[in-house]
Amino acid sequence: MGRRSKRHLGAMILLVASLVLGGCLSLRIDKVTDGAEVKPLPREFAVGKTTLAEILASYGAPSDIVEMKGHFALHYQRSFYRGGQLSFSVPLSDVLKTSPKLDATGNLLRYDAAVFILTPDGILSEMTYENGIARPLWNTYWK
Amino acid sequence: MLFRAIILGFVIITFLSGCAVIGRNKDFRPFDEQVLTQVKPGQTTAAEVTKMFGPPSQIVKLANGNAYVYDRTLSKATGVWLVLVTFANYDIQHDRMVFFINKNDVVTHYGSSFKTDTAAYGTPF
Repeated sequence: MGRRSKRHLGAMILLVASLVLGGCLSLRIDKVTDGAEVKPLPREFAVGKTTLAEILASYGAPSDIVEMKGHFALHYQRSFYRGGQLSFSVPLSDVLKTSPKLDATGNLLRYDAAVFILTPDGILSEMTYENGIARPLWNTYWK
Repeated sequence: MLFRAIILGFVIITFLSGCAVIGRNKDFRPFDEQVLTQVKPGQTTAAEVTKMFGPPSQIVKLANGNAYVYDRTLSKATGVWLVLVTFANYDIQHDRMVFFINKNDVVTHYGSSFKTDTAAYGTPF
């Protein structure tokens, strides 16, 4: 077989393989962002001093308001989802009545969140912040 | 040479055949952010709030009154389905208003965030 014929044969094999494997091998990558950026806690915010009006002026409307038997909490959140799936299947159901399939999936949902707990009079009694979206994708997933 | 080009063309068409999708979903509520300037804490009543903005999406009962929450959402989706790979990106943003109303049915505080205009089409990378 000549050099040129070998090349043509290789190209044909590649084409046939791509047509056959096209239905068998797939990769899916998803990204979902829900919500706007959540700022870190301002330095001027202080427990016992900061008021509901100051929090609303700085952060705007919260994602959620939770009643806590007298106290209440303002919850600001942004979620960030990353998903991936690698599938390999051999469609043999017409021949063998079975189709081997292997799926590998991974999903990671991270959050940026700030929570302010206030007294019934609207004075800040507790606050916390988490910058989860900044955490590394790979290391966070396998941790 | 021609044969090679044909083969290459077939391979490219095979791998790139598929479809692309651009989507836009809206959870609409007809409140107007310009009207927000008419709300005066200590004066505006709960009835005036509902008259201006319609029924709230959620009412939260608090120890000293209630909170009226208004929320609407805009999500933009971008997707590409090819033979071997599928990519999808969703960006969901909200417009929110919250009114704190005391036991006398008067607005004491309010806050707002209008972010739906920042929703964007994009890639998942």
